[in-house]
Amino acid sequence: MNEEFSPIGPESPLCKTLHCLPEKFIVDLANGIDVTRDHLRVQRGRTDVFSRLYDGFTGQGSRRQAEINASLADGVEASLNWLCELSESLAQSNLAIAQVNERVTSLTGNVALLAHFSADTRHQLRNLADRMDVRLRGMAQEIARIDFIQKAQLNVDATFSKWAAGSFSALSPASRCYAVLEELRWGALGDYCRKYRGQRQCREFMLMVTHRAIVQLEKDAALNQRTPVDMVRVWLTAPPVRKGSGGDLQQALGYMADGMAAEAAPFITSAMQKRPVSPAVPLVARAERVAEAMVWEVFPREVLGA
Amino acid sequence: MPDFSASSPTGLVLSGGGAKGAYQVGVLKALLELGASVDMVAGASMGALNGAVLACAPSLPEGVRRLEKLWSTLAAESPVEANGPAYLRLLAAAGLVLGSPVTTVFAQISALAKGTKMEGIVPQVSGDWLEATLLSVGPLKALMEKYLDTEGLMHGLPLYVSVFESRGGFADVLRCAVAEAGLMDTPPSRFVHLQSLPEHEIRNALLASAALPLLYQARQIGDARYSDGGQGGWQAAQGNTPITPLIEAGCRQVIVTHLTDGSLWSRHEFPDTTVLEIRPQSLITPDDGLLGASKAVLGFDASNVSRLMEMGYRDTMHCIGRVMRAVKARQALSLSEQNLNQSLQGGKDADEALSNAMTRLL
Repeated sequence: MNEEFSPIGPESPLCKTLHCLPEKFIVDLANGIDVTRDHLRVQRGRTDVFSRLYDGFTGQGSRRQAEINASLADGVEASLNWLCELSESLAQSNLAIAQVNERVTSLTGNVALLAHFSADTRHQLRNLADRMDVRLRGMAQEIARIDFIQKAQLNVDATFSKWAAGSFSALSPASRCYAVLEELRWGALGDYCRKYRGQRQCREFMLMVTHRAIVQLEKDAALNQRTPVDMVRVWLTAPPVRKGSGGDLQQALGYMADGMAAEAAPFITSAMQKRPVSPAVPLVARAERVAEAMVWEVFPREVLGA
Repeated sequence: MPDFSASSPTGLVLSGGGAKGAYQVGVLKALLELGASVDMVAGASMGALNGAVLACAPSLPEGVRRLEKLWSTLAAESPVEANGPAYLRLLAAAGLVLGSPVTTVFAQISALAKGTKMEGIVPQVSGDWLEATLLSVGPLKALMEKYLDTEGLMHGLPLYVSVFESRGGFADVLRCAVAEAGLMDTPPSRFVHLQSLPEHEIRNALLASAALPLLYQARQIGDARYSDGGQGGWQAAQGNTPITPLIEAGCRQVIVTHLTDGSLWSRHEFPDTTVLEIRPQSLITPDDGLLGASKAVLGFDASNVSRLMEMGYRDTMHCIGRVMRAVKARQALSLSEQNLNQSLQGGKDADEALSNAMTRLL
């Protein structure tokens, strides 16, 4: 068959509906065109005299015209019907568009509210972040400080343990105390006291160091707490020197004590026996007096809290 | 406005037109390709024969295949065969019984003009007169023997054929001529449900439906003799386009095929039925004269058959395509409206959800 005249293929989806012919007015409208054209084609071919006479006599002409008119009237009516439906459909579409527009407007308003809410929330979050940052920084500093205290504490414990273990036994008791205090000054305790100078913790550390020095001095001198003893004989005299022991330590301590003025640190200078015993040093003294004086001389500012 | 459901049966009307029946093969081929379903068939004359072959087949595709085969046979070997002895008998009988046929014709027209009923005036002719026909029914019977499966027909699509109660060949022709002239319409054709007939009358009914007056012999069915069903209700083609039995059988959608240019059959007579007409989109009868019309009815030559089949296919695609485009547009509109309504309903739910969310938020 000629493909030019078969625009509707068998596989065309619209052909699937053929088994169920649709509403009558649609068929009348569409099919009426072909019916009318068939009549018009015949009508146009019957213009000769005989045909006109024949059609007029038999009435076929008027019946054909009536058929054409009826088809046209049906077509117009169907068109009106469809036009009404289309108009209703269009009205519904317009209504829907209006509703959609209302919803879009409402949505825009809500989006604006959300945007404001979002901006406010962001501002609050930034403030919170700043506060949290400050807080965290403070906490970090506090943790660092606690860590520092811990280190200082460990430093104190380790140094006094060393003293208790006899690491400085080649020195006089006062020199042992000085050696321990110097080690603390250059260790974590010294760092802490320099960084947090004047703080209560520093003073507490100094008090703790003093107490532990007193205890250790009394242990070294095998004394009771409140017993004053001869300064030179007990506190400043080193045990008999064994060959090859304690000389370097004594020299190192002497070197460190060199920078100290005799007026400012009479106990230390006397302990190092660089010079004659300072007149500022009492002839008899308890361990408490020696420890407090030496702590004062090594950590003067820390003790004062300046 | 009627609302038709998918379950409403679809009828097919195959109108009469002799050799132009090849057009209906093209129509059916196109309908088959378009996936159409046909639930019952009605035919007149050649349309009845085509309908019978279709109804005998177990399926529409097989029916179309058989029709194509039948028409290729008809194209190769025309069923029109002169009935020589009968022709001579006809002439003799006409001369002896009627004397002057022309005089009789004028007498009958005169009677019609006076308002007298024609049936009373038509002379009761002798048995010889009724038996005499110009064409032999032999080839038609042979074709029916070959292509008509009575057993298959009983289980096939319901088939209605139109037949016209004959008053004799000349009288029938005269009544048609009077109706053509617009003086008095012929009585309406009767519609016979073939599957309801006794088996021996089925072939008779089909031959009667195709029995052109004077050319073929009228057939006895029951108490009356019947000839070509296309003669009844001549002016409105009531018999030649037998839609009435289909409507009475419950069809609310009918496909009607026409085999004449500008058929005056009117769809407006059936306001409650959806009618889809397949009309020739170009001249189905190239020569408009009496001779040309006769040639178109009896011209079973190969080129004509091939032309008509192609024409039927093309016209069907055209007519149904036009309807379906409109249907598609309407369905698309309806679908879009449904989608729009669903979408709007969904939008309402979303609006409510958003409103609740905003209430919680702010």
